Amino acid sequence: MSAPGKPLEEYESVQTWYRGLREQSGIDPAQDPSRLELLREFCATLDLDPDALVAACLLKKEGRETKISVKGRRSMGERIAEFQSRGASADSRERARRGNTVRSFLIHNGILLQSGIQI
Amino acid sequence: MELKEVIGRRRSIRYFQSWRQVEREKIQIMLEAARLASCAVNATFLKAVVVVRDQLDHATLEALKTPVSGLNIELAPVHIYTYVDMAAYVGAQGRLKKLVDVGALNATHGWSHKFVDDFVWPNILKPLAQGATQASVAAAAASDAGIAICQAMLAAVDEGLGVCLSAFVAEPIAKIVNPPKDWLPLWVLLVGYPAESWEAGGQRPRPPMEEQFFEGKYGAGFKPDPKVTEQMKAARMIQAPAPLPWRKEEIRALARMFGLPE
Repeated sequence: MSAPGKPLEEYESVQTWYRGLREQSGIDPAQDPSRLELLREFCATLDLDPDALVAACLLKKEGRETKISVKGRRSMGERIAEFQSRGASADSRERARRGNTVRSFLIHNGILLQSGIQI
Repeated sequence: MELKEVIGRRRSIRYFQSWRQVEREKIQIMLEAARLASCAVNATFLKAVVVVRDQLDHATLEALKTPVSGLNIELAPVHIYTYVDMAAYVGAQGRLKKLVDVGALNATHGWSHKFVDDFVWPNILKPLAQGATQASVAAAAASDAGIAICQAMLAAVDEGLGVCLSAFVAEPIAKIVNPPKDWLPLWVLLVGYPAESWEAGGQRPRPPMEEQFFEGKYGAGFKPDPKVTEQMKAARMIQAPAPLPWRKEEIRALARMFGLPE
């Protein structure tokens, strides 16, 4: 994102993510601000804001139900894997956390992603 | 374990001890339970191929994954690929007469070899055998296969294993297991020792009995007797419902163990 339009927490998709973390996963996102920082870093690599990140995984056609885009989801999965591997100085668990944070964001926004065992 | 508790314990396990192999003896017990299941015209509609995950190459394992089953397939050390054998009606004539011979189908109920040869085979079973592509034939055959799969699942639970039925991509595994053309892909039965607690967060929600089962006619819900419900709880067929209070913490611990997103 060359110029974020607003604080990340104000994006609807981030609010959805936080709600999912609290309600589904029993996690208080306020306890760990590094989640948001990782998302910010990932958004910057793709030059997309969080809402646009979710939209990139969807297929919307006039008059039809929104679907998950197979290509979009696959491409996003590859970009996440690249992002994850870029934590070169970190141990495998820390690298997994990079990718899993972004996956968590997308999953709680309705984008099914299965990472496989990461460590 | 008593049967009622086995039924109560069975639930879809989605976290397996991926590092721990399942003993071949236990798989044999599961297959035997499936083999002995009820089956129409004594036809074995269920066919299955047992595959050990670690014997699959990485590319095949990746290709087997559907969007929702990928992680389960990766975690489970044993996959049992199940199929409906649409050719199972073939040979039904002989099998029915065998049931007459062993006292399963008797004159008390109108059965005889002649009845099988002159009526049942030409009018009912032969058309079914020849019309195996019809949806109604497939539905009946799949129903029988499902009964057998369920018995295998319960046998697995009785052996301390976790099980989960999952969809699979038929083409890549077909290159490995080479199923005959008459076999219709059904489900993969994933087997392994559970990495989550056997409670897996609790017994899954089900609609009230009266909404699913009826007495005498549709609309007259089958009302459960509370005394019988208590007996089933004591026998552990009915167990603590999901979610158990510590389930979220368990999932977080599993996510950390396997490096999974939360």
